[in-house]
Amino acid sequence: MEMIGRVSRGSKMDQVYIPKNRAGLAIGNYVSIKPIDINISIEYAQSRKPVFYKLSNLEKIKVMIIGELLTLILANTKNVNNIIITGSFLNKGFSFNDLDILIIMEEKEGQDRLKKLIESSIGINTHIILLSNKELLEGISHDPVFEMMLSRYVSLNKIIYKKKRIINYQFLDLSLLKSKPLIDNFELLNGKEKYYLTKNMVSILFFITKKDLSDKIIDKEIEKLFGIKIERLKDNLIEKNKFVKLYQEIYNKTQNLLFTKNGSK
Amino acid sequence: MAQNRNKLIDLFISNLSNAVLHRILEKAISDIEIMQKYSKEIKNSWQIALNYREKINPIDMPLPNKDIEEIKRRASNRVKSDLLIRISKGYKNIDISLIDQFINNALKELRAI
Repeated sequence: MEMIGRVSRGSKMDQVYIPKNRAGLAIGNYVSIKPIDINISIEYAQSRKPVFYKLSNLEKIKVMIIGELLTLILANTKNVNNIIITGSFLNKGFSFNDLDILIIMEEKEGQDRLKKLIESSIGINTHIILLSNKELLEGISHDPVFEMMLSRYVSLNKIIYKKKRIINYQFLDLSLLKSKPLIDNFELLNGKEKYYLTKNMVSILFFITKKDLSDKIIDKEIEKLFGIKIERLKDNLIEKNKFVKLYQEIYNKTQNLLFTKNGSK
Repeated sequence: MAQNRNKLIDLFISNLSNAVLHRILEKAISDIEIMQKYSKEIKNSWQIALNYREKINPIDMPLPNKDIEEIKRRASNRVKSDLLIRISKGYKNIDISLIDQFINNALKELRAI
C-alpha cells in the first residue's frame, strides 16, 4: 500500500497525517518516508491549469517554478480564493528583482510564515500581499499600481472584474508624494529605486488622464519623456541635472492636475 | 565641513517634512482600505531622513538645542505650507494642529532629540 501525505509543522515534531480509515499501515507498523517526484507537483499545478494573462512566451523554467509555487501555497494555506503572480518575474529573461504574489483570501494570516517558506523552498526573494476579494477590487479601481500589476499575470483562477477607475485625488496625492524624494536625493538612491519612483509618478499621471496602463506602456513613456533607455535608469547610469529637471516638471504637472481636479470636482 | 553639515541638515529637514506630511495626509484618508497595500521595500522619506540623521554630528547624542529649534521651525513651516495648499484645493479632514506633535515624535524616533 502506498499513500501520499504532506509534512505539516508540529510544535515539538513535524508530522505526516494519514486517514484513519485505511487498508494497511496499521498502528505500530514501521514505514519509510521519502519525498515524491517533483513532476507530481508540477503535474498537480498543471492540472489546475493556471491562467496566463497577456503572457505568450514565459520561459519553461518559470512555468515550472510557478507550478511549484502554487502547490506550495495551496498546501500551506486554507481557504485561498486565488493566487496571482505578477511583476518583474514575468519579464523576459532572468533579471527579475523578486517574486510578487497576491494571495486572495478572507482570513489574512501567515504572511511572514509563507514568505519564509517560499524563500527557503524556491530560493527567490518574495513579496507577498494578502488581500480579500473586496480589497483587490478596490485596489484595481483606486490604485494605478494595482492596475499595472494586473495588466499581465499568472493566476490560479480567472480574475473577473469590471474595469472602472475611481479617482480619489487625496489618495493619489499621497501616492505621488512617495515619488518626491528623488528630487532632493538623487545621489542617495540606486537605479532600481529611481526607476520605481519614476514609474509610480508616470503611472499616476496616466491614471488621472485616463490613459491605458501597463508596465510596457509606462516604460515606453518614461523613455520618451526623459529621452533615456529604461535599462540605463535601472543601472543608475543617468545624468543627474537633465533628469531631475524633467522629473521636477512632470512631478509638478501631475500634482497640479491632482490639485485642480480635486478643486473642481 | 560646516557647509557639509548645513547641507545635511537641509536634506534632513526636507525628508523629515515629507515624512510628516505623508503621515498627516495618511490620517486624513484612513477610510480607504486599500491604501498603499502595495508598498515595496524602497527608500521612502522616512528612511532617507534616518539615513541623513546618521550622518549629522553628534551621531550618538541628541542634536544641540539650537539645531533642533531650527529644524522644528523650518519643518513646521514646510509642512504647514504644503497642507494649506491642499486645504485651499478642497482637501478634507486635514488636521493642521497635528504638525508640531508629529514633528516632535518624528525627531524622537529619529534620535535627534
